[in-house]
Formats: sequence, C-alpha cells, structure tokens
Amino acid sequence: MSLPVQHLWLIPALPLAAAAVGALTPRSGRTLAAGAAIATMAGAFLLACLALGGALDFPAAHQVLNFAWFDLGATSLRLGLLLDPLTAFMCVMVTFVSLLIFIFSTGYMKADANAKQFFCFLSLFAAAMLGLIIANSLLLLFVCWELVGLASYLLIGFWFHKPAAAAAAKKAFITTRIGDLGFLLGLLWLQDAQGTLLFYDGGHGILESAALANLTHLLPCGLAASTAIGLLIFCGAIGKSGQFPLHVWLPDAMEGPTPVSALIHAATMVAAGVFLIARVYPLMAADQLLANVPVHALTVVAFIGAITALMGALIAVAQNDIKRILAFSTVSQLGYMMLAIGVGSWVAAIFHLLTHAFFKALLFLGAGSVIHAAHHEQDIRRLGGLRPKMKVTFATFAIGMMALSGVPFLFSGFWSKEAILHAAHGWEVSSLPFYAAVLGVVLTAFYMTRLVAEVFYGAPRSDEASHAHENSPAMTVPLVILAACSILFSLLAWPSPWLQHQLDPSAHSESGDMSLVLPSIVLVALGLGAGWAYYGRRPRTKAESPDPLDRYAPGLMAALANRLGFDELYAATVGRLSSGFATLAAFLEVFVWDGAVRFLAGLGELSGLVSRENDEAGFNAGFDAGSKTLRDTGVAYSKAQTGDAHGYLRTLALGFVLLLILVILGGAR
Amino acid sequence: MNADYAGLFRALLPETHLVVGALLVLTIDMIWARHRPANRHHVALLLGIIALLTAGYAAITSGASGHIYGGMLKLDQLAIATRTAVIVLAALALALLPDSRRMNHPAEFTAILLFATTGFTLMAAANNLLVAFLALELASLSLYVLAGFDKTSPESAEAGLKYFLFGGMAAAFLLFGFSLLYGLTGSLGLEQIATQLVMQGQSPLLVVALVMVLVAFGFKAAAAPFHLWAPDVYQGAPAPAAALIASASKLAGLVLFTRLLWPGLGSAVGTIAHVPVTVGWAPVVALLSGASLLLGNIGALAQTNVRRLLAYSAIAHAGALLLGVIAAGRIGVGPLFYYAATYGLATVGAFGVIAALESAGPVHQLTDLAGLHKRSPLLAGCLAVFILSLAGIPPLAGFFGKFSVFASVLQLGGLAGPVGWLVILAIALSAVALYYYLLILKQALVAAPVADATPVRVTDPAAIALLLAASLIVALGLWPSAVLELF
Repeated sequence: MSLPVQHLWLIPALPLAAAAVGALTPRSGRTLAAGAAIATMAGAFLLACLALGGALDFPAAHQVLNFAWFDLGATSLRLGLLLDPLTAFMCVMVTFVSLLIFIFSTGYMKADANAKQFFCFLSLFAAAMLGLIIANSLLLLFVCWELVGLASYLLIGFWFHKPAAAAAAKKAFITTRIGDLGFLLGLLWLQDAQGTLLFYDGGHGILESAALANLTHLLPCGLAASTAIGLLIFCGAIGKSGQFPLHVWLPDAMEGPTPVSALIHAATMVAAGVFLIARVYPLMAADQLLANVPVHALTVVAFIGAITALMGALIAVAQNDIKRILAFSTVSQLGYMMLAIGVGSWVAAIFHLLTHAFFKALLFLGAGSVIHAAHHEQDIRRLGGLRPKMKVTFATFAIGMMALSGVPFLFSGFWSKEAILHAAHGWEVSSLPFYAAVLGVVLTAFYMTRLVAEVFYGAPRSDEASHAHENSPAMTVPLVILAACSILFSLLAWPSPWLQHQLDPSAHSESGDMSLVLPSIVLVALGLGAGWAYYGRRPRTKAESPDPLDRYAPGLMAALANRLGFDELYAATVGRLSSGFATLAAFLEVFVWDGAVRFLAGLGELSGLVSRENDEAGFNAGFDAGSKTLRDTGVAYSKAQTGDAHGYLRTLALGFVLLLILVILGGAR
Repeated sequence: MNADYAGLFRALLPETHLVVGALLVLTIDMIWARHRPANRHHVALLLGIIALLTAGYAAITSGASGHIYGGMLKLDQLAIATRTAVIVLAALALALLPDSRRMNHPAEFTAILLFATTGFTLMAAANNLLVAFLALELASLSLYVLAGFDKTSPESAEAGLKYFLFGGMAAAFLLFGFSLLYGLTGSLGLEQIATQLVMQGQSPLLVVALVMVLVAFGFKAAAAPFHLWAPDVYQGAPAPAAALIASASKLAGLVLFTRLLWPGLGSAVGTIAHVPVTVGWAPVVALLSGASLLLGNIGALAQTNVRRLLAYSAIAHAGALLLGVIAAGRIGVGPLFYYAATYGLATVGAFGVIAALESAGPVHQLTDLAGLHKRSPLLAGCLAVFILSLAGIPPLAGFFGKFSVFASVLQLGGLAGPVGWLVILAIALSAVALYYYLLILKQALVAAPVADATPVRVTDPAAIALLLAASLIVALGLWPSAVLELF
C-alpha cells in the first residue's frame, strides 16, 4: 500500500484543516485546537509513511503531478507536486518531529491562556512546511517558503508583550526577507529564461538537462547564467538557514516558546534552505563543467557553509544562555550541511539534515524541559545539579549531546558528520573547508560537554534550579522517543549506507572507505576531554564565578560572547545606512516634497475655489441629473410592467413582428 | 435508424433515476408518510436528494459516448457538464423546501421538481427537434405547476397562470418555427438540418422560422422584450420554484438553444462582429441582448421588492449570456457554460437566503432584510457572497464568468462591430448594476434591525445548501480553469 502522487496534497491539507479549526475555535477551545493539531499530524505522518513506501518502490523516478493554475494570455502558470525519495524522507521527518513537538507543547504551554492560537500557528507552519517539501514548482515552493516565514514570525513573537520577543520576530522577518529578495530575483530570472518553474516536467522542467543546457552561456560579468541564478536562489537559503552573513536572526529567534525553537528554528524550517539547495542541485551544479568561469556556484556554497560551521561553533563556546548555545550550534550544523552540498554531496547534507532534526529537536525539547522545570531560568551559570532531580531529561539530553558531538558508532550524528567530513576531504578545489570542519568538530564536542556539565553537574546555583523537578509524561515521552530515534537512526547508515543509496541511486557507494573514522574519533575525544577537564572535573560553585577560559584569552572570549560583534557591525553599517536614508527621506519629505505638494495643493485649492461653483452647477449637477434620469427611466419603465397578462402577450407578439420586420428590412439592404 | 436500446438505457440512466425517484417519493408519501405530518417533508426531501445524488453520479460517470439512439440524443462534454450542473442546482433548490407547516404537499412538490429536472437533463442532450420540444415542455409544464404550488397565496396562483400563458404562447411560436424548419429541410435531426441548410442557403421562410425559434429562446432566457413574465413569476412563486426557474431552467435552456443555433442553424448565423452586418440569427440575438442589458439594469434601479430586483438582475444577466451564445460557435461553449452555471449558483443562493428568511416572516421589501447580520450572520455572509458574485466582484465566480464571456466576444472581432460595442455597453452597465446590488447588501450588512426583529433559525438542509453554494462560488472563482478546461 502506498500513497500515489495524486493524493500527496492530503499531507499538507490535514494540518491546514487543523489550523482552520484552531483559527475558528474560541479561546476556550484549546483542547479542541490541540487535539485537532495532534490528530491531523498523526494522520499526515501515516500518509507520509505511505508516500515513502511509494517513493522507495522507484527510488530513481520523480513522480510528478502538474496542473495549470491559470492562464495569462499565452503563458500558462503551472504548479505541481513531486514525489521522490528526497520529498518522502523529508515528509516523514517533518510530520514525525512535528507530532512529537505538538505533544510536548500540550505540556509546555499548559499555563498559557492563548494556547489555542499557538496550536493554530503551529499547524499553519506544518502545513506550509509540508507544502514546501512536496512542491514541484519553484513558485509553489516560494509561496510556502514565505508562509513558513510568516508562521515563524508569528511564533517567535508569540509572547509579543515581551519587547525582546517582538523585536526578535521583526528581526527574523526582515533579515530573512533580505535573502528572499535574492531568491525572488532568481526565480523571476529563471521564469524569464525558461518559461516555466516546474522542477520536473517530462524533460522540460528547469532541473532537467534540456533546460539546464540553456543556461550555460556566459554573462557580461563572466559568470555563467546558471551560476548567477543559482547564487541568487542561494541568497534565500542563506537567509532562511541562518548562514553567514545573515545568521544574526537565528539566535534572537530563541525568544519564542521552546517548542517553536525546537520545531522551526532547529529541525525543520531553518533546514528548508538546505533542502532548497539540495532540490535545485542540478541547477547549482550546471556550471561545474565550464572551465573558463571565475567561480562556480557550488564553490561559494561550500565556503559560506564552512565559514558558518566554524563561526557558529566558536561563538557557541562563549554563550551562557542554554537556548543560545543550541541556536549557535544549529547555525554551525546548518553550515556543515551547506558545506556538504557545496563539495558535491547533497546526499550527505540531507542525511545530516535528517539526523540533525531528530537530535537537535531532542536537545531543544530537553532544554525546554529544563527551562520549564527551573521556572524559565535559562542561564547555565545559574542552573546546575539537575542530574539527580531530572533523570529522564538528563539521560535523553546526554544522548542528544553525544549524537551532536559525534560520539562514535552508536549515535546517528557520528555517521552523518562522517559522511560530510569524507566528502569535504575529497573536494579538489580547496582543503580549507575541510580543516574548518575538522576544527568545528572539536569545538562542537567541547561546547556540548560544557553545556551538560554546567546544567546537570555540580550544585544548584539558584533557587530556581534547586526547586526543579521532573516534568509530566506529555513532555518526557517525546524526549524518550526522540532519543531512541537518535540512536536507531544510526542503523540506517551502518553497516551499509542504505539511506544514501535510496536518496541517490546513481551515486557510487563509499561505505568501504573508513580512513577518516579513526582521526575523527580522536578529534571528538579531544573535544569531550577538554570540555570535561575545564568544566566537569571542578564544577562551578557560584553563579558569579568566572568562566575558566576567560583566564586564558579574555579578549577573545569577550568577542565571542558578543557574537563577534555582527549585530553591532550591522547596526553601525546597514542600520546606520538605512536610518541615514530614512533621515534623508524624512528631510526631503518635509522640506522638498511636502513644500512642493503644499504649493501644488495651494494652487489646487485656489483653482478649486474658483471652479467650485462651476463644478457644483455643472459637472456635479450633471452627474446627479444623469443618475436621476437613469433612476427615473427605471421608474417609468417599471410602470410599463402593469401586471396585465393581456398586455404581456400583446408585447410578445409585437416583439416578434418587430424583430421580423427588422430582419427582413436588414436582409433587403 | 438503428434502435440501440441498451445504449439508450445507459445514456438515460440519470433520467431513470430521477423518474423512479419521483414515483418513489409519491408512493411512500401516499402509503406511509402522509400519516406522519411531522416527518412528511423530511421523507420527501431525503428521497428527493437521494434521487438527485444517484442521478448526478450516473450523469458524471456516463462518459461522452456521442450520438445515442440514431442521433436523437448527443452525449458530449457539454451535455455531461450541463446534466451535472442542473442536477446540482436542482438539489440546492430542493434543499430549500419549507417544512410541512407551510408546505402542504411536500412529496408532490419534490416529485414535480424531479420531473422538471428530468426535462432539464434531456434538454441538455437533445439533438433532435422533437426530443428538444418534448424535453422543453416536460420541464416547462412542471415549472408552471411549481410556480403556482402555494395554493394559499394569490400571488403564487397569479405567477403560475402568467408563466403558463406566456410559456404556452412561446411554445406555440417554437413549434411553429420547428415545423417550418422541418418543412424546409425534411428532417428533425440537427445534423441533417445543418447539411440541408448549407445546400439551400438563406430564404425568407428560414428567416421567419429563425425569429420564431428566437422568441421562444427569449422567453426561456428571460430576455427583453420577452421577459415580462419574469418579475411577476419571481415575485409570486415559492422560493424553491423561483430558484429553479432562475437557475437550472435557464442553464438548460441556454444549452439547448446554443446546440440548436450553432450546430443546427450555424449556416444561418449572419455576421455581427464586423460592419456591415449581414442577416442571420446572430444580429437578432444581439438585439435581444442589448435590449435585455438596458431594460434589466435600468429597470432594477426602481425596484423595492427583493425578488423583483433579482428578476431584473436576471434579465440583465440574460443579456450578457446571449453575448456568450454569439461567441460560443467560434470560441467554444466554455465561457458561456461557466457564466450560466455560476450565475445559477448565485441565484439559487440568493433565493435560498430569501427562503430561509421567510420562515421568520414575510420578505417583500428591501427593508425586510435590514439588520440581517445581527439576525443571522450565516445568512448575511452567504448573501454577501452571492450578491457580490452577481455583481461580478473578483475573486468570486461571477467576475470570471463575465470576464471570460466578454473576452470571448472581443476575440470575435474586437470593437469593429456591434457585438464589440455591446460588450462596452455591458461593462458600463455593470457599474449601474453595482448600485442596486449594493442596495441589497447595505440593508443586509449595514442597516440596523427593526425593533422587534428576532434571530433567524436556518434549517440544516438549507444551511448546508447555502454554504455549499457559497463555497462553490468562491472555489470556482479561485479556480476557473476547473470548469473552463472541460470543453
């Protein structure tokens, strides 16, 4: 039994229906809204599993359902749905993680009066995200892309009465919009060049070789057309996936409720950028065979990814907010995924995306569990000693931490990270990204060890931490399930790379090459050991005591804690520039345009004064008279409707005779 | 003629369902339901809806099998779409059936409505003058009865009688016209008539026959100057009957006459897209269209009665639909069918709102709608959708109907001929139309309710029908190609 592509639309339609239910129920209907959200998501998960079954029957085929949306003159705007292993795996992941996070939210949002709104937004987000995944048209994908952005905005600012949350929502929306501008330009360019935005369309789609051959010509600036379009689309991915230099919104987005951070800003939406680039990979790679171009699109992707991976990991080392550490870790891991695509292995990127979704959702939900138990205390310096009080949370969080750090063999993160390192190692263009990734691995193990040691070991360093206790099963059961998945997922990669093979049957298997495994284990051990040496062996005793690393490099740590000053840089450059423009515009508005307008208005008023009398007497009265004549005609006419049946029949006969005469006269001419 | 009874039976499966359903409604009412007054109309309604649903299913699944029974019927895409559409419209109208306290013989009403629907479905497929006439008369006679069904109301009796007198006269013209056509060509099948006419060319007798046929067409479509029955009938007939007359009957009539005019009399069309005009039926249709546009829109301005207002709006829409008939031959029937079907939906809906309101008190004047948004938000919301669709406000279906019909007419010859000028007239009169449509909405959505106004309770079938019609209008407006691409 499998779900054919014709019925694929059901998967986003179900959560959309739940969002409608949530929007229409009154505020007291939180149980209904939550129930609808969870039930439809469970249904969507089952359908996604069926779709996966269907996709795996023909892993090499792209099953599509294309249809015309509307016609504009000769142009027909066509949309479509697409079912292939990439879509199906993403659908299963998104529905499954969403389901667990929805369940977790019933516990986390128990005390919130506005919870039904929350589930409505979450369902809307899930619907848009699933629509994004199953789209077979760049336009449909873009529409859903903007919808997930909207849902993200609404959910980051869910506690909009907090100024920080409102500001963070605005920042996220505007920052991603900068990237989306590039995306939109690329999309329009592509439509102009190809006449269609369908990915696959029986040989005519934009990802199929016939169309890609159209884009190999060189532009005046020396780039190939496909490079320019690909980089414009990549701008959208930079914004959405928090890549350098547009990563600044993602840490701030942690102002939203923690389930939102887990679902949208860790597992699914931020990975949409990676998904997008993996989806349009044939377009991104179209310029690979051209030798005489200054730069290839994928090279840019690889370097941006590598910079993001290293920078995110570095900044995470010096953060003190539990959610911000995880947020920078997300930035860093998304960098790894982009790096993998850039070096030519989109399969490794998607593999890491899937494993990362599970263990990062797990980590965020674990953080949410800690925050919920500790009465919204998020500063790791003021937590501590939670291990005996929250055994389930600790155990699952530790599993997530080991998966993220890449502890060998048993944890899924190890295999996917290994695939990326392997791909980066084999890249011919440059070895710098590989070394950045290697350094990132050590740092990841280090900051995750620091996080666990600070939160769960030592003694409680605040009242909140000392009164914490384990949460209800609605919150712990999803943790356990996600932890189990983080381990079980490693079976997909070991001993044979089954998943990679399903995603891209044409790729040659690289399972036998284990040359990097041993160095990688050493690196992870180095990071874990260093983290334990600094933070685990002698746990912090007071919240105010300084960080051990501050003693060695206070300047560097301060810079990192300040997130390398990107926010200040942007405020000083882009922000200053735009407020400068705004001031200039205000000045022009007040003194130049407004003056001109006032002058013209004065002239207008004068002439209005002069012509008012004429106007009232002439034009206006004329119009009134016209309307009155029209209405009077109606009244006069309706007097002809006497209700006299004889008269009616006479009119009928007269009408016949009149028409006959007219026709005969016309014929005689 | 080869008598393929099996094929005929398969093709007439929807009609069989309808007729059997009608007889079943009567029988069960006679034996069982008559003695249970509380449930009587529920039973009739349920059986009627089941009959319509099974017939609709049979109509959708029948498949375009072409000529049936030696060319008596023609099952093409248009026939299937029209059958489905009239069945849907009839089901929506039936759902407005008032309860037994106000309707004494619900089973008879349902049965006659089903017979009328049988007539409509046959009209949709008729390919022979005799079958066309019989189908038309089956539908018309049923509608006369339905219009006069409310025996307690003098207006209803007046409506039935006027409709009958006018319809009888129109039928006489039609039959006369048909007999002239038969005399000219010696055959009743539309294809044979067409080949004969191509050979004979134009003759005075043919012109007389054409005008006679068009008189009947004008009656069926409520086009000026053969529209005089419409305001009185719309005002007096019970709401479900008026809804049926305004929607399904109009759609079936348009399809029947389009089939008659284009494939049958296509050689006698004349030219209207460019000057100078040559004689044929198209200039006559254009005349009717222009007169209807003017009379309908301007007459509506003076109306204070809701139903008469809808009648004049129907006349105005008939004018636009006739333009679509002129364009149907070269551009295709898609725009015409889309316009007629979505117009039918909006009209059924508007009459449905009136019917639901009548359960709470009489609805004569526009002011009887005052404060509807307070009394029933559901009715007010649905009414807004229907009226705005009638007025042609995007993104509702009414806009795309007008748009596609006007666009198809302009494809004929641009503004080079009278038919293009008529489009300009129609667009200009749309502005006038917006005024009187907004008068309705002003009362329903803005005006305060009168002091003793009570909330309106809407019965479940009526609420479902109204919501269905409103959502269909929105959906077809968002997705016009779903219908337009059928043809």
